[in-house]
Amino acid sequence: MSHPVEQHPVTKTVERVDAREKARGETRYLADIPFPGRLFARVVRARIVRGEVVARNTPSLPEGYILVTADDIPAGGKNCVRMIEDDWPVFSEGTVRYYGEPLALLVGPDRATLAHLTEQCERAVEFRQQEAALTIEDALLCRGGAIHGTDNVYCDYQVVKGDPDGAMAGAARTIEGEYRTGFQEHVYIEPQSLVGTREEGRVTIYISTQCPFYVRKAVATALGLPQEEVVIIQTPTGGGFGGKEHYPDVLATTVAVALTRIDGPIELILDRMEDLEVTSKRHPSRVRYKAGLDEAGRISAFDVDIAFDGGAYESSSRVVLQRGMFSSNSVYEFPHVRVRGRAVATNSAPSDAFRGFGAPQGLFAAEMFLSRLAREIGVDDLDLRKDYLLQQGSTTMTGGRIHEEVKLPEMLEHVLRVSDYRRKREAYAAAARDNGANGTDGAASAKPLGGIGLALFKHGSAFTGSGEQEIIKARVRIRKRADGRPELLVSNVEIGQGVLTTFCKIVAQVLEIPYTDVVYDDHNTSHVPDSGPTCASRSVAVVGYLLQEAAKKLKGRLHEPGEFEVEQVYKHPEHLRWDAGTLSGDAYPSYSWGVNCIEVAVDPLTWEVDVRGVWTAYELGRAIDEEIVRGQIIGGAIQALGYAGLEKMENPEGRFLQRTMADYCIPTSLDYPGVDYALFDNPYPWGPFGAKGGGEVVFDGIGPAYAAAVQQAIGREVTRLPVTPEYISELVHEK
Amino acid sequence: MSTPAWIRPATLKEALTMRRDYNARPLAGATDIYVRHRAATGTLPPLEDRPVLYVGHLPELTSISEDGKGWLRIGAATVYTDILEHPDTPLLLRRAIEELAAPALRNAGTLGGNIGNASPAADAVCALYALHAEVDLAGHAGERRVPIAQLITGPGKTTVGADELITAVSVPMDRPGSFHYYRKAGTRRANALSKIAFCAGGTVLEGRLTGLGVAVGAVGPTIVHSRDLEVRAEGSDLARYRKLQQEESAPGGFLTARYMALISPISDQRSTDAYRRRVTENLLRDLFERTIPTLLSGKAG
Amino acid sequence: MKNEIRFSLNGKEETLPGDPRRRLIDVLREDFGLTSIKEGCGEGECGACSILVDGRVIDSCILPAGAVEDRTVETLESIRETERGEKIVQALTRGGGVQCGFCIPGMAVSIESLLRTNPRPDEHAIREGISGNLCRCTGYQQIVEGVAAIEHVEGDNS
Repeated sequence: MSHPVEQHPVTKTVERVDAREKARGETRYLADIPFPGRLFARVVRARIVRGEVVARNTPSLPEGYILVTADDIPAGGKNCVRMIEDDWPVFSEGTVRYYGEPLALLVGPDRATLAHLTEQCERAVEFRQQEAALTIEDALLCRGGAIHGTDNVYCDYQVVKGDPDGAMAGAARTIEGEYRTGFQEHVYIEPQSLVGTREEGRVTIYISTQCPFYVRKAVATALGLPQEEVVIIQTPTGGGFGGKEHYPDVLATTVAVALTRIDGPIELILDRMEDLEVTSKRHPSRVRYKAGLDEAGRISAFDVDIAFDGGAYESSSRVVLQRGMFSSNSVYEFPHVRVRGRAVATNSAPSDAFRGFGAPQGLFAAEMFLSRLAREIGVDDLDLRKDYLLQQGSTTMTGGRIHEEVKLPEMLEHVLRVSDYRRKREAYAAAARDNGANGTDGAASAKPLGGIGLALFKHGSAFTGSGEQEIIKARVRIRKRADGRPELLVSNVEIGQGVLTTFCKIVAQVLEIPYTDVVYDDHNTSHVPDSGPTCASRSVAVVGYLLQEAAKKLKGRLHEPGEFEVEQVYKHPEHLRWDAGTLSGDAYPSYSWGVNCIEVAVDPLTWEVDVRGVWTAYELGRAIDEEIVRGQIIGGAIQALGYAGLEKMENPEGRFLQRTMADYCIPTSLDYPGVDYALFDNPYPWGPFGAKGGGEVVFDGIGPAYAAAVQQAIGREVTRLPVTPEYISELVHEK
Repeated sequence: MSTPAWIRPATLKEALTMRRDYNARPLAGATDIYVRHRAATGTLPPLEDRPVLYVGHLPELTSISEDGKGWLRIGAATVYTDILEHPDTPLLLRRAIEELAAPALRNAGTLGGNIGNASPAADAVCALYALHAEVDLAGHAGERRVPIAQLITGPGKTTVGADELITAVSVPMDRPGSFHYYRKAGTRRANALSKIAFCAGGTVLEGRLTGLGVAVGAVGPTIVHSRDLEVRAEGSDLARYRKLQQEESAPGGFLTARYMALISPISDQRSTDAYRRRVTENLLRDLFERTIPTLLSGKAG
Repeated sequence: MKNEIRFSLNGKEETLPGDPRRRLIDVLREDFGLTSIKEGCGEGECGACSILVDGRVIDSCILPAGAVEDRTVETLESIRETERGEKIVQALTRGGGVQCGFCIPGMAVSIESLLRTNPRPDEHAIREGISGNLCRCTGYQQIVEGVAAIEHVEGDNS
């Protein structure tokens, strides 16, 4: 690690407020909380991929068991899970769009009986099956008929900068490329969990979630209640990564409908196999590039066509897609750009938020295409990148500005130095030339094939475009309690990322008190204002700043008698502009920047990849707590290495093949080495003590760096993630 | 008297009686049975109403001893950790156990369980094939000893009688000149299931190869091996080995070609048939073109 | 046959309630209220349900309760009250080893199991020792560093 700038006091590591209780096993996650009289619930699911229900021959239920269906949705309510649109149904009313779609909810006292009844109910449903669309190509051809609308396209966007048509027409040469990425499952170690009950007459949901107010909106919409009539209480959440952003709404609404018939408490905890099979995944992608080069070999036109597999219902696909589009030029500036983006409907489980939110797909494609361009043009990979790097004042692909100083050049130099990239890159290339082993199969030699790769990238903090000011409108309050302690009233929650600690540190730093004096333990939607969801790298960057500003109002007032509150509401920085109609302007208020380097050794007998080193540098504005930020960097890198090399989820027939944690493999402690890191301070004026987002950028660059390293090792072009040994062996055996 | 659901016999003799009388399902570490018959939270595993015969505590099944003739006899219910910690465990078996799972599973899993379940992907069982292990069975008719390859007949199928229990597994201990070759292509580096498990062992003394054992897991319905091919190589010096290998001009020579003809890999949720085929061929060639000739030429480091 | 199944749980003699085929995790969490044990997968893959049986780490989600008859079961509830247990808790707490925390109790139990046989493990031994405890947040490194910094505790390793 290195600290080019002297550390700000807020960056100094403290003990996380939640760590000791968690390490002693005393923290009560949802399944650990006693609910006297608790009943259990199981979702009755469609066991086909696509079709229509022809008959439901529901068996008679023993006393004490109820079957809840769409018919139980009260007047005034709606059979939909309200996310961005009134989107997927709470319960299917006949149409089945993906394997495992909910048909009903069974509630009762005994789990074994419930398991048996669920199977009986599922077997009793008769379907007329239809041909399924399972790939982006299937979707665009409307295989089996359109799933959504008339063309299976959830949204179709275009961003244009300059005159891409003219520039492409005048190009001396064009180069194309196509890149694909697969599903990724979140595998938060705590499965989706909730308990629904009635407290003081109100529908009350205890739930493992990133976004309590999303759950509230979804439940209120389904039941036709005013939002204030629904209470959501976030329980300590055992991992989210985007998987508990919207998906908890899907489960909470089913239990909420059950609460119209029975008071509860009703517990719904997904079995791991069920969780793997039916919950949302990262969007698979197909990205096509075409670059036009002028006579001098400079890139004049850049044309990108992105398609994301949105799965069976739209969820947040349009916003994920937008971020994918806005990442498709990575950290480079080209004069004439067109980016088309479509999210399409397939008969897979709905795709939704996952750390990175579209950016990892766009950045992988962009960085791999840049490598292809360098090879085709005959210039050094790094030199090509340096020629087009964004800098302060650059115009982004959406016509916005890079407002901050861009520290990529010094970050890059740092990573090149600590990784010894230049020497290794040359040595591996020489070794490949000398022994000619690259690309041949293992018979020639059992000696590992070495490679090293780099990626440059950025990630916009906060919601895309005008989302913060027009959709979220975050509001925070700090209460000065009678005992003199400040209490934070916000809707952002701890999902492992450390916000219980960082928020307290920000406020304590302003108030010049110990961070342990700050109270932040109320996660009940009827007690706290809506400061927005816990996602989009926005908690510290946006909400932390609001807390800093609110704390300033409290400064010097902690000794005043009694209890009072101060409030801060989000104001968009005035220098930012955005046109949501044309997707033009400043797509994000600020960016976090990164450089990743990965060194690998590929076994020529088994094509397994051994990661020998991971070097990273980040500019996140300023770290609020170094150890917490480091935890994000390492954790993000290892999760992304899983995405890059290990984690494969396939549904050739519609049902996912990998349905257990033995078959869907996430990294263990032995799969990858430690991660070297450096932080570059660059305080952001509208972030708390200069902080920007850090939770997602740490995922984004690993995939392309890994692929670039493998590419060098095997002497074949890599165009897909994950880079499994199977894929490598296919590449090596081609031609 | 109603059938008990859970039987804990005091002795092996009592266990055999219970096994016969109740068609009871032997269980020690439960690491296979409780995964295959997985129970939802708060429910009993679906065990097809056969009583469980718990044998994990029986001293007759949990000891490791030398037989005085160079073989190590490992009780069928000995947990993997104990096998790993025993100083006389052959290196090939040790390597397979080290890589077969995480500590928690090695603290519960047993050879008897893995053999009884006859999974074609079981790493430790694959090593047993390559070691030419012999399995001791006890039943009311008496005891018998069977080579591992004869005991397992198909995926999940064995010739263990309905009144028999697997009591022990015997493996030859390493001796001067013993070599082992172990490679696993797993779904990840640790705590992983095998896409391919590849085990080989034998002895090279004074330039002569004896006791060659080769076994490949997860590339067919049972672990792939060939007594015939092993016998063909028996007693070879380098010249004779080369001659044998030249009997076929395929890449990797005669032995590689013949083993490749025996495998029948499939595509499943863990890997593809093409990958399994290519990697098996690579490993066979590494063994037959590099490792064994190097050993026979006395150039091994 | 006896109708009562006895075992030692966190230093106390207990009788096993219910059917011996029940998963031990259910017995410990629901009958004895030992909620440091988490259920992450129910298939012996993630290690969140780790406990010690006769001093060795085992996944309690795939172990029939009857298998612990006459054996010693320890959970984090007792381990955390020991000197070494406290050092493990501190190692996890101070070095950034805890994020969402759901895997952490199981991780702590695996570390205890490791330290009983190997009081001064190197990095590889630590990584090997926790290789059955899946963590999706931390990437393991801070956990490994924390454990490597634990000072050896003399005492009963049985």
